[in-house]
Amino acid sequence: MSIMLDGPATTQARPAPEDDRPGRTSGSLIKIVLLGLTVAIAVWAAFPLAENRAWTGLAVLTATTAGLLYLYLTPRHIPLKYLAPGTILLILFQVFPVLYTASTAFTNFGDGHRGSKDEAVVAIQAASVTQVPGSQQYALTVATTGDPATGPLVFLITDPATRQVSAGDADGLKAVPGGDVTVGSTGRVTSASGYTVLTAGQAGLRSAEITALAVPTPGGAIRSSGLSRAYEGRAGRTYDGGCDCIRDTTTGRTWTADESAGAFVDAGGERLAQGWKVTIGFGNFTRVLTDPAIAGPFLRTLVWNFGFAIASTGGTFVLGLLLAMALHSPRVQGRTAYRVLLVLPYAMPSFAMLLVWRDMFNTDFGLINNLFGSDVDWFGGSASARLAVILVQLWLGYPYMFLVATGALQAIPRELAEASRIDGASAWGGFRRITLPLLMVALTPLLISSFAFNFNNFNAIYLTTEGAPFPADNPANGATDLLITYTYRIAFGGGGAQYGYAAAISIFIFLIVAVVSAISFRRTRHLEEVHS
Amino acid sequence: MTRWIQQVGWRHLVGVLVLAFAMVPIVFVVSAAFNPLGTLSSSELVPTGASLANFTGLFSGTGFGRWFLNSIVIASVSSIASVFISALAAYAFSRRRFRGRRVGLLSVLLIQMFPQFLAIVAIFLIFSTVTDRWPAIGFNTSSGLILLYLGGALGVNTWLMKGFFDTLPRELDESATMDGASHAQVFFRILLPLVAPILAVTALLAFIGTINEFLIANVFLTDAGAKTLPVGLYGLVAGERNANFGMFCAGTLLTAIPTVLVFQLLQRYITDGLTAGAVKG
Amino acid sequence: MRIRAAGAAAALTCALALTGCGGGDAGPTTGASAETPKGELLIWADDKRAAALQPFAEKFGAENGVTVKVQAISKDQQTTFVTASQQGSGPDVTVGAHDWIGNLVQNGAIDPVQLSADQAAGLNPNALKAVTFNGQTYGVPYAMENLALIRNTDLAPKAPATIEELVAEARKAKTPEKLCLQVGQKGDAYHLYPLYSSAGGYLFGTSADGGYDPKDLGVGKPESVKAFQKIATLGEKGEGALKRSITGENSIATFTSKKCAFLVSGPWAIADVKKAGIKYDISPVPGFQGGQPARPFLGVQTFYVATKGKNKALAQEFVTNYVTTPDLAVALYAAEPRPPALTAAFDQVKGKDADLEKFVTAGKDGLPLPAVPEMAAIWDPFGKAEAAVVGGADPTSTITAAGKAISAAIK
Repeated sequence: MSIMLDGPATTQARPAPEDDRPGRTSGSLIKIVLLGLTVAIAVWAAFPLAENRAWTGLAVLTATTAGLLYLYLTPRHIPLKYLAPGTILLILFQVFPVLYTASTAFTNFGDGHRGSKDEAVVAIQAASVTQVPGSQQYALTVATTGDPATGPLVFLITDPATRQVSAGDADGLKAVPGGDVTVGSTGRVTSASGYTVLTAGQAGLRSAEITALAVPTPGGAIRSSGLSRAYEGRAGRTYDGGCDCIRDTTTGRTWTADESAGAFVDAGGERLAQGWKVTIGFGNFTRVLTDPAIAGPFLRTLVWNFGFAIASTGGTFVLGLLLAMALHSPRVQGRTAYRVLLVLPYAMPSFAMLLVWRDMFNTDFGLINNLFGSDVDWFGGSASARLAVILVQLWLGYPYMFLVATGALQAIPRELAEASRIDGASAWGGFRRITLPLLMVALTPLLISSFAFNFNNFNAIYLTTEGAPFPADNPANGATDLLITYTYRIAFGGGGAQYGYAAAISIFIFLIVAVVSAISFRRTRHLEEVHS
Repeated sequence: MTRWIQQVGWRHLVGVLVLAFAMVPIVFVVSAAFNPLGTLSSSELVPTGASLANFTGLFSGTGFGRWFLNSIVIASVSSIASVFISALAAYAFSRRRFRGRRVGLLSVLLIQMFPQFLAIVAIFLIFSTVTDRWPAIGFNTSSGLILLYLGGALGVNTWLMKGFFDTLPRELDESATMDGASHAQVFFRILLPLVAPILAVTALLAFIGTINEFLIANVFLTDAGAKTLPVGLYGLVAGERNANFGMFCAGTLLTAIPTVLVFQLLQRYITDGLTAGAVKG
Repeated sequence: MRIRAAGAAAALTCALALTGCGGGDAGPTTGASAETPKGELLIWADDKRAAALQPFAEKFGAENGVTVKVQAISKDQQTTFVTASQQGSGPDVTVGAHDWIGNLVQNGAIDPVQLSADQAAGLNPNALKAVTFNGQTYGVPYAMENLALIRNTDLAPKAPATIEELVAEARKAKTPEKLCLQVGQKGDAYHLYPLYSSAGGYLFGTSADGGYDPKDLGVGKPESVKAFQKIATLGEKGEGALKRSITGENSIATFTSKKCAFLVSGPWAIADVKKAGIKYDISPVPGFQGGQPARPFLGVQTFYVATKGKNKALAQEFVTNYVTTPDLAVALYAAEPRPPALTAAFDQVKGKDADLEKFVTAGKDGLPLPAVPEMAAIWDPFGKAEAAVVGGADPTSTITAAGKAISAAIK
């Protein structure tokens, strides 16, 4: 067995000695061009990193580039040369998202707890800013005492009653003599001596500064509301670093930060809506295990989930293979037409076709009951709904298996099958003894991956039955629900999105699929070695 | 005659039966596409009206042409690139023996099992930064989306191709290596041509998978000019009810055209038994 | 040839691989991004509204010397907005229903707007109330919507005053379906609510300040059981006026193909009804005989200012000072005939469109759709309970289970 693990000695390919035949030279040329390109791209990518002083990013970029150069210049590490491009992409766009998501399982990440504590404080304060009672709104003109792009900003505001113009900046308000300004019909200042009035376009460029500018007044502060109006506002709630709490400026009520819940909580246990993301350890995991809504119907759902995945994979495989076998003969006329038409279900956008199928199953208006003159409440009964979703999967999935099986059949030397026939084996015997085993070599990995895909086939359920039918006493778990649709409902159905919780459930599901796949994978080992 | 039924007739029978199963929903969509009052609730197979209004409306009233072009570019580039990446990896997994090989194979598969609706948050995290630093590959660019799709290049297709590499006799590369060929020459000159059918199949599968992808494209491409077919088409029936269903069906049909063309193009490789000849020679 | 093609593909792959590699490396290391000052305003809306907004966005851009981009988010606009905002890739302005407010506020995704007294006075009071949350105004409403009863006057000349009358009329009309009110396999709380409220049910009690009190959940209470018992009489085992086979996708189409004389729907249905050439009239959704008035939900389409927008001053300018002008409201009405929330715009279009007034009348007893985040927990279990009861399940146990599921999700 250990020999097998290491592979036959002959395939432990030693790097062949370099020689200078023509093939080699053109190969090296391509290699040099590609590596040059790699370096060029790395340099291109490095500039923005250096500009933003993202040193860690720059270091990783340099290390990766150097690593690649080394990898493709050394004669060693042959497998890695072939795996590197895909692996790099995989790490960036699959592994990182998965790890990130998995890490949220240990947090309360979700609606109301998405950002940092600082962000929550800012949001609470911003949401509490109200216009000072009895105060007026002012016509606003944004101006500067210097250059329109960089000069210090000034709010020129016009009192609607008196038409008195004042100039305000972070130091406060001061009146501007009437003679120095021109006021338009809307009350807005159109020009003022000593100030440059910003156009909307210029102001638009300095949006963040304008929003940040608060002109202090005795009652609060004058802030902009857009570019043409200002109001005197006051924050009803402020953060007090001393007690790590939010205080209501009028009532004096306080909400103290609770770092374990990621929320500000008052003495009565009432929370402010804006919370923040905190690590809560294994809380989500224990919740998965103790939540009766999950634990109760879990086994039933799991069994159906397996049934669905096996039936979808097996059904499409059998149908696809049957079809591929049927058309794998030069004597069948119109093979090309058959193939094109038979692949059509796969060519149609699947999300659209799922919706079409859903409506075809409608009891009173659906095409299927119409066509067969039946009156089946397809999505109303457990068995019929399950049959329906599997049928839809069969339709969507068989062309895939058909294509793959056709390709696989072509790859099998025809002589093998013919030889068996001459030996006197029946067509079926020849298929079973020669063709099928060879097909399975090529297709078993695919069946495992198809199973794994169908096990988590969210759209197949979500766009058709949405889990229906639901037992009257349990709206959380329906007869056609897969674990994944069920997770989705629990995590996003009530009280907003709960990413952390969803991630925890996903990890459990992931473990189940992983174990099943790994076990089936172990059994494929012998298949790999047919030729050795 | 009995002989004909035994050898050819049953093939037609299977073909016709499956064809009927395959075509019913498609005929339904066709009939809705040509029905000027197209709605999703129709239970008729035969069109109740015949007009091209839905097709003309698609081109005059929506960005369909643009979506179409975007989809073709994204699907073509990413399917070609992903087949190439996959083939490289499949060769290593099939022909080389190295530590972590089987673990690697299994991980490649398992990683794809994580629910995508959860990964959206991480994708925003990555690409918000990328958009700031390298706008050329950020949100609303085809190149960014292609890159993101290529993250999945090492996946199911790798398994598929590895399975095919496994069916090729090892003696082929061994004798070539004896003759002094390098591993690259073995790969490019000997093995790749032999697996042409499966390269064609995976290219087609990748093409279809990409051209139909909705979940990620929907959040990645928000600019009207950057959208792909599924995102644009979904927009026709999203929002309030589905007055546009006829147009949606028309678009669905048109979406299938490039796929069918690609299939036609690759059919030669898939079905002409190139491999059989090569092994023989 | 083959080698060259392979080489090209390899070049591409490596190029892509490396650019991507650079891209991700920086991912976790960066903090707040630098300003990209282009004087640009980015608006997110659904497809229909994005198309209607486009010309006005361009006009606003041209008038103010800024670029305005409108992008359509076809699916999950609310979640996408919250997620994108959090990461700093969101828009400056987003357009959506007012019942998003609770969730957007708890995620710190939108800012309150400061309307002047004149601007506030120019808005429909119900619409303004709907966008008010915790005493703050969180957006500028531009259109309102509520359900009404649309009937085919050829088949049913008289507007029914009660649901019993409606059933009798429908029986007389001999249409295949009695009532086109969407239920579907998952139920539809929004469309059922008028009947539920008429039968005495409620979702949330009212708090002292007139808002909704999430602590007083009406689902699962005796009132709701009674209401569902009444609804069951209309279901598949009863009158057959409510059926699960009538879904959101086919209810309007079934009505326009004259398979039913009555449709419960909103202003969005009118375009289809007109296109089908059906003579119709609009009246309030009837309630049960001797019951309470049927109250449809009032929904308000709203412009929001994103907290983390890159150009907030411009966004505020657009939302508070431009959306409040009648021109835009009228144009949005033209794109989709919903009653404008701006009184001036409403007056401008109501002469040309008699339906508007009728929809407003139908919404007279309406209740603003609760904007509290807890509402998210109601839709799904409530709808499923509805579907089960319509299909013939026992009302008492069904609605009690739904009540339990909802309160578990809310806590």
